[in-house]
Amino acid sequence: MAFTDRRRFLFEAGGGLSGVALACLLSERGLLAADDASVCANTPADGSPFLPKQPHFAPRAKAVISLFMSGGVSHMDTFDPKPALERYAGQPLPVKGEVVVRQGHPGPLMPSPFSFQRHGQSGLPVSELFPCVGAHADELAVIRSVVGRSNDHVMAHYELASGTVRMGAPSVGSWVTYGLGSENQNLPAFVVVYDARGGPFGGPSNWSAGYMPAAFQGTVFRASGDPILDLRPPPSLGEEQMRARLRLLETLNRRDSERNPANSELAARISSYELAYRMQRCAPQAVALENESPAVKKLYGLDNPVTGRFGRQCLMARRLVERGVRFVQLYHGGLGNQNTDTWDAHGNVKENHTQHAAEVDVPMAGLLTDLRARGLLDETLVVWQSEFGRMPISQRGLGRDHNPGAMSIWMAGARIRGGQTIGASDEFGYKAEQQIVTVHDLHATILHLLGMDHTRLTYAYQGRRMRLTDVYGEVIPQIAAA
Amino acid sequence: MSIRAKTHGLLLAAATMGALGAQTPGVSFERDVKPVLEARCLKCHGVKMQLGKLDLRTRESAVAGGAHGPALVPGDAQASRLYRHVAGLEKPLMPMGGKLAASEVAVLRDWLAQGAPWSGALAEVEARKEPEPEDRTIAPEARQWWSFRPLRRQEPPKNGDAQWDAHPVDAFLFAKWREQGLRHAPEADRGTLVRRAYLDLTGLPPPPEQVREFLADRAPDAWERLIDRLLATPQYGERWGRHWLDVARYADSNGYEHDFDRPNAWRYRDYVIEAFNRDTPYDVLLREQIAGDEMEPASNARLIATGFLRNYAKVGFREKDNPQFRFDYLDDMIATLGRGVLGLTVQCARCHDHKFDPIPQRDYYALQASLWGYVEVDHPLAPKPEADAYAAAMAAVEAKLKPLREELQMLEAPYARQVREKKYRAWPKHIQEAVFTPEEKRTPGQVLLANQIIRTTGASPSEMEPLMTPADLAARRALAARIAVLDKQRPAPIPVAMGITDGDYRFTPDGAGDEPAPGKGVQREAVEGAFLCDGTRPYEAPPSYFLHHGDMDSRGRPMRPGFVQVATYSEMPVEMPPPHHRTSGRRTALANWLVARDNPLTARVMVNRIWHHHFGRGIVATLDNFGKTGEPPTHPELLDWLSRRFLDDGWSMKRMHKLLMSSRAYRLASGFSDPENEQRDAANLFGWRFRAQRLEAEVVRDAILAVAGSLNPAMGGPPVFPPLPEETLKSMDKGIWRRQPDGPETWRRSVYVYRKRGLPFPFFEVFDLPDQNITCGRRNVSTVPTQALTLLHNEFVIAQAGRLAARVMAEAGPSPEAQLERAYWLALGRPPEAGERAAGLSFLASQPLAGLTHVLLNLNEFVYLR
Repeated sequence: MAFTDRRRFLFEAGGGLSGVALACLLSERGLLAADDASVCANTPADGSPFLPKQPHFAPRAKAVISLFMSGGVSHMDTFDPKPALERYAGQPLPVKGEVVVRQGHPGPLMPSPFSFQRHGQSGLPVSELFPCVGAHADELAVIRSVVGRSNDHVMAHYELASGTVRMGAPSVGSWVTYGLGSENQNLPAFVVVYDARGGPFGGPSNWSAGYMPAAFQGTVFRASGDPILDLRPPPSLGEEQMRARLRLLETLNRRDSERNPANSELAARISSYELAYRMQRCAPQAVALENESPAVKKLYGLDNPVTGRFGRQCLMARRLVERGVRFVQLYHGGLGNQNTDTWDAHGNVKENHTQHAAEVDVPMAGLLTDLRARGLLDETLVVWQSEFGRMPISQRGLGRDHNPGAMSIWMAGARIRGGQTIGASDEFGYKAEQQIVTVHDLHATILHLLGMDHTRLTYAYQGRRMRLTDVYGEVIPQIAAA
Repeated sequence: MSIRAKTHGLLLAAATMGALGAQTPGVSFERDVKPVLEARCLKCHGVKMQLGKLDLRTRESAVAGGAHGPALVPGDAQASRLYRHVAGLEKPLMPMGGKLAASEVAVLRDWLAQGAPWSGALAEVEARKEPEPEDRTIAPEARQWWSFRPLRRQEPPKNGDAQWDAHPVDAFLFAKWREQGLRHAPEADRGTLVRRAYLDLTGLPPPPEQVREFLADRAPDAWERLIDRLLATPQYGERWGRHWLDVARYADSNGYEHDFDRPNAWRYRDYVIEAFNRDTPYDVLLREQIAGDEMEPASNARLIATGFLRNYAKVGFREKDNPQFRFDYLDDMIATLGRGVLGLTVQCARCHDHKFDPIPQRDYYALQASLWGYVEVDHPLAPKPEADAYAAAMAAVEAKLKPLREELQMLEAPYARQVREKKYRAWPKHIQEAVFTPEEKRTPGQVLLANQIIRTTGASPSEMEPLMTPADLAARRALAARIAVLDKQRPAPIPVAMGITDGDYRFTPDGAGDEPAPGKGVQREAVEGAFLCDGTRPYEAPPSYFLHHGDMDSRGRPMRPGFVQVATYSEMPVEMPPPHHRTSGRRTALANWLVARDNPLTARVMVNRIWHHHFGRGIVATLDNFGKTGEPPTHPELLDWLSRRFLDDGWSMKRMHKLLMSSRAYRLASGFSDPENEQRDAANLFGWRFRAQRLEAEVVRDAILAVAGSLNPAMGGPPVFPPLPEETLKSMDKGIWRRQPDGPETWRRSVYVYRKRGLPFPFFEVFDLPDQNITCGRRNVSTVPTQALTLLHNEFVIAQAGRLAARVMAEAGPSPEAQLERAYWLALGRPPEAGERAAGLSFLASQPLAGLTHVLLNLNEFVYLR
């Protein structure tokens, strides 16, 4: 960046902003009087820290929707069938060295309680937990050989979020926003919608901007009510009162700017009030699910209490992406009660995964269908992931413990060839074995699809050009091949 | 067929199907394999070192393998790590920093498949000429970089301008302006200056009366007296202590999964505030924070100060069986000392020699050795007799409890067995079978399953009691009652400080909140030892090692403590054991080196920090990086002059504030503009006008509270928890956020608000609170719409605007003119100008006063120091 003082880069980039814009907007015929549709369709040209930036090369996707299943999804029970588990059920896992589990001691091999069906033309096997997602098999590229570095929920979340298990690094969404800006200046560029039952393991650090300016952190959209904290004034303050205050503020700030012509930050700050006003008008509209047709609501499962919660999140994601939001991070599984409200199936994998898959299957399939129908799927990357896989051996006969040695992740959209599997775990699903894919590789691939070279997307910090992928990462060739 | 053989069969089949290339006919070990191994593998797995404990010099040692298992499985390339790592089937790709040619990979694969015939022992080709990494020194010319050179003796330039030569700081700046052809701004008006001084030194806007008093004080020394007065207020420590707490990555919780509360962390925060208020010399401040536990005489403050090193984010697993985390904590300490104190990114040398600065990896591990003995302890904050009495009373209660607990267990045992059996029968059939099959007849799988079930099945009193005979029941309850009585006899806890001292982490007692390693028991190399040294024998730090590639399994030689060579100008002891011999004195030696007069960095870095916070930009803009990738100093001579002055003034920070603020340069106007200046130095690197600065997150909140008349000035003590929206509380993973009402109890200065690593306080976060987990000298400043939303809509802000309106009403009476006047004085420390008066009065004609005060809190002028 060419700014002499990097930390003050945001609005000065626009340069030469004047108070004229807001003054005009606040006039009787301006912003305050305009209807939502015209306010939100109109993207102001400058003043925002999220102005669109050029990618390194032609992108395959303009936006990302990340579906994060918090708690740890068992790959052997979802997208990575292991017939050997049937054959060797009840026997110890035949490996040398210590089998490290998160809780207690290792148990014997346990077959999946779920059956698998082949779907679509590709015949991609998907477990009975996901009949609806299975119907999209020909759109999914399943990576069966992803490895993580920690069997601790929080550190594993941080690794998927930022490439490192330690706190303090920017998340993927922050990197993407930093690299590409946003297509819509009236909404945050990086939006997080977590489960109504509570945030994921590790909390807000998952969408932190780390050492980058705070502007790049994820903005939490609430799944109901006003999407953003402090988006609207409390009910005690009427619309007319707020308008009067904004007008006075604008007048006084403008006088102040005239007295201090040297300070461009002041103009930037005036402009930020205009953006805030736009956001106030546009964000509720962006998540106004009531405007959707009954058919669409049904498609996402909003008509059913089991699927309604995640359905709302998925439908919000589509509406946000449609409006140019760059990165939407959804979490399923919230820390109300770790064992029942997340995928953390220590006690009973059949009960746990049956419950959680039923909550997400229809909404995720609905999302894929809807994106496809609207022509958005080809320019949107959908990533389905979790913080680690689970163990092929049982925990107390019915459950499965954490396993960062192998997990399955799928990607769809962005013109990725569907119906393929990439990499493989070993016979039992204990360790990834063929074409091992690290989290850095995943991140490199996500950036690649967005038109960015992960080795060139750097942020200068403490004397180093930092990268999302540190000094590692290779783009997954099968995903990169259109 | 055993499962093992079966697995291999499948793997081989997979390999064949995978079309991994045609066979190389007739591979010769001597001709094809040996050269590859010798040239590409033996450097790290040979005579000099065996990274990952792997030695590839002989077939036996290769088969035996290293820390991760055998490297070579004759006849099975796919199972051989040697092949997997060079073929990229497993990470990291070997050899490190290079890649074998496809033909070489094929040779290795085929040789392995052919049974890996071998002859003789290998020898590394090309003897290494460089010294071993543990011995690496720096070249003399490495010291030529400006920040590594000794502080120069420097006289302020003589510009022949009486006004600007009078103050040394001005003389240096003026010379630069002249050299660069820059015109300097005029002096700011006195109203601006008094506000600047208040916000800068105390983080609070000046009360109107203080502004008026200063405006009326036309004595020549009025400004100096104002500075003295502000430096003497306790709010100074709350403001400037906060700057240091950023460096110290201070927080009130652990971070990571549990984000446990640190109930005593605040004592360190209070120590810092008090140290700044007392003007504790910076060298003493560093000594106390790094080695307070080794200083004589011992004091509570010194023990509390050691919390500095313990402010790292912490995973809940015990270090004694998860040593990898300990390396990360040490890395964080080294990063904090490096960047925070030395302005050097020493932590970059953890895995390799520093890429840009002359910091060999050896220096990193020498520093690590200096700190290696540290253990986390809660220092009792009581005189020794009292602490001893407490420990004795606790032990006495425990001694009485022990036999009672044993008796209780004996009595309960048969009933517990019954309860557990009943629970076993509730499991599905295959689990019951595993549990009820006699131990010796269980299959290997059943052994594992039964083990899991039996270990995790307990029996609670409420489950056992219904089964008990009346006599046993009565006995059980009597025992339980006696235990309960004894439990209450524990002495009241004495206050403790969260700090560190030397010890042996491998013998850390199991503490609250610690978790054993995932799936592991205690693992340690030493079998005998003690957590803390009682001084009967001199303390000896556990050994620490050079780690190749930073990998804890790739040990080099044991390390001696030591320092960063490039910043070392005289022979200094690396260990200064205290007379009591309970610690090593390595940290004392480290602190002594940091504050040695010939250490070229420590004074420069701190003076530059102080300069940055006063002027908005450091003489070196990268406060934490004085290395080659940092920004060069704009005024190197001035920095050296100031640094020497800092040393000569006994490291006094208050004197430095006074010196900088009494310059004319500090008093320049910020609104000044000049077309030619904008051409020559648009970024104002040379300080020709004062740099306006957005207030920091905490100052925005404190200023709102102060002008509303709400600020509760109470100092110190446990942190407060301003209310958070329910939705935000929901996003929180674990740990605490107490529910305190919005009121005077939480209307304390922001430095006292609970710092939760996993959940930054939203109001602060929106105003660029830095990440609380890493040391930070210079905060980012951004201007984003969410800041506007917060100041416009946040209930706290609206409520305080209402309180400000009520205050104005009470102080100014019913007249709108008087109200407007008073509101301006309170919020901005000045009267409204004519245009502002007109706009304000017209607003008040139709809108409530609270609307006006709300607008004032949103003004650019309110949130900027200028």
